Amino acid sequence: MQAKWKAALIWLVLAVAGFYLINELIVVGVINAFIENMLVTIGINIILATGLNLIIGFSGQFSLGHAGFMAIGAYATAIITQQISNTLGFYLSLGVGMVIAMLVAVVIGIPTLRLRGDYLAIATMGAAEIIRVVINNLKITNGAAGMYNIPALANWPTVYVFVCLTTLMIVNFARSRAGRAIQAIREDEIAAEAVGINPTKWKLAAFVMGAATAAIGGSLHAVYIQTIAPSDFGIMQSISLLIIVVLGGVGSITGTFVAAIVLGVLDTALQQFGALRMVIYALALILIMVFKPSGLLGRYEVSIKGLLERKGGHHGTTDSHEVE
Amino acid sequence: MALLTVTKLSKQFGGLDAVADVDMHVDAGELVALIGPNGAGKTTLFNLLTGVTPATSGKVTLTTASGKVALLGKRPSDIAKLGLARTFQNIRLFSKLSVRDNLQAAMTHRYHENFFAEILRLPAYYKKEALVGGWTDALLREFDLTAVADLDAGNLPYGTQRRVEIARAAATAPRIIFLDEPAAGMNPEETAGLRELIEKLRTDFQLTVVLIEHDMSLVMNLAERIYVLDHGKMIAEGTPAQIQKDPAVIAAYLGGGVHA
Ligand SMILES: Nc1ncnc2c1ncn2[C@@H]1O[C@H](COP(=O)(O)OP(=O)(O)OP(=O)(O)O)[C@@H](O)[C@H]1O
Ligand SMILES: [Mg+2]
Repeated sequence: MQAKWKAALIWLVLAVAGFYLINELIVVGVINAFIENMLVTIGINIILATGLNLIIGFSGQFSLGHAGFMAIGAYATAIITQQISNTLGFYLSLGVGMVIAMLVAVVIGIPTLRLRGDYLAIATMGAAEIIRVVINNLKITNGAAGMYNIPALANWPTVYVFVCLTTLMIVNFARSRAGRAIQAIREDEIAAEAVGINPTKWKLAAFVMGAATAAIGGSLHAVYIQTIAPSDFGIMQSISLLIIVVLGGVGSITGTFVAAIVLGVLDTALQQFGALRMVIYALALILIMVFKPSGLLGRYEVSIKGLLERKGGHHGTTDSHEVE
Repeated sequence: MALLTVTKLSKQFGGLDAVADVDMHVDAGELVALIGPNGAGKTTLFNLLTGVTPATSGKVTLTTASGKVALLGKRPSDIAKLGLARTFQNIRLFSKLSVRDNLQAAMTHRYHENFFAEILRLPAYYKKEALVGGWTDALLREFDLTAVADLDAGNLPYGTQRRVEIARAAATAPRIIFLDEPAAGMNPEETAGLRELIEKLRTDFQLTVVLIEHDMSLVMNLAERIYVLDHGKMIAEGTPAQIQKDPAVIAAYLGGGVHA
């Protein structure tokens, strides 16, 4: 069997095994409601941060407006599930949220993605703030009070499946024609243009794709937490997602997983320390950045296909020995 | 027949005439060299032709299968798609991508992958990847880069990086390739290799080559026709033998430098 099929199969088995493991641990009581809540939060953060890593790590665009797209997904779900309070309503709202977020990403992206570095960060931050202010002033979103009693239409298995789906989507996108184009732009925009890559088009593609995954994360957040308010989607939310990406390693999806898990556990474990929590949290971040500035994993990715091929290559040499 | 025609092309930077009223033409299959002292405007001329820098005035026309196309005002990426490829005086590789990915990034306009085929890994995706993989393997072999295919381009020795950059330009499947001082910083051995490579571009790849180079022995041996630029003006045009005797050229170089 070819390595690519074997690798795909192994990933599938791992995903299913992970699912059953969590399920069993809940049944036997090792994972209580508290830990389950932590796991779901980690899962939603992974969805949000992998999309941001596509924008920052792969296309090299320093966006600080991720919370804005998350808000669009969350509010689309909160509003629609108020009318249609069932699973169908949730999936409909998920689709609507994604579409709106993608359209807004196009509108924001066309003028701002021309900017570089800090200017882009400020512009996207401003755009997200506009989204938040609009939500804050609309009737349908219930203004600053936010929306509550959102039906609980997602549980941990829903989030688990979406973590797998969005990761698959982003990883496959990054390892294709599209991914090569956006990484070339990140490396050298002038050289990329000189080899026929239109930077505006591809930067926008990555930005829109990131926005779509942020909307998914927002939708899940709304039906899991069941209460949302505009203040949940401010600059601090964008920054905490940025921290996950930077800490894990800009450009490493594996790193994003590791960082989301490490920070999620740290955050939960530190809750007993009260106000001291933020200090310890910040200190841990500073230490990691001082000793490992490229993030926990740099640009490393786990690759089962790579492992298989290395093993396969080894077999190849033994075979040729036998022929001799 | 002229593949590329440049008419009265000018570029001013503030008050400086970096390129002034330049006329030139490149015929299909030719190897043309562009020489001139430092700051003559050679790189600027390449930048104008490939769309990196917008021109102040003038006209650039490319003859394609479907007629003549005006290049000025077009995006660099569209000019590249029309068949103009280039290297840069200060190497510009995709440093943190492998050599293989550097070449494949330059092929994106040569094939299409459906978004859903990409993210769902449908058979159409694998078919396209196999096609592109085949093109890449062939190029790696032609440019003797197979051994370094999976290394990050930015970590390679200087001479190899130059070779990768030329291979990347060739990966766009161009009609004309513009090389900006490819021999700069190379040792004599590497320069000899480069000379073979440039000849290969013409014979195996059927490319038209425009070469900026300060290494006069390379220029005089390779070029069929030479243009000489000085202070933004085209001061001479001719065969290597004619250029070496041209008084205006000798004056521009202050009597030094133009020897075979
Ligand atoms: N972006 C720019 N802005 C202002 N002036 C520029 C710019 N680019 C080039 N110049 C000026 O235009 C003139 C021509 O520069 P150019 O780089 O084209 O010369 P060149 O012939 O390639 O020289 P060299 O052999 O040193 O590479 C120089 O005086 C240079 O300083
Ligand atoms: Mg130059």
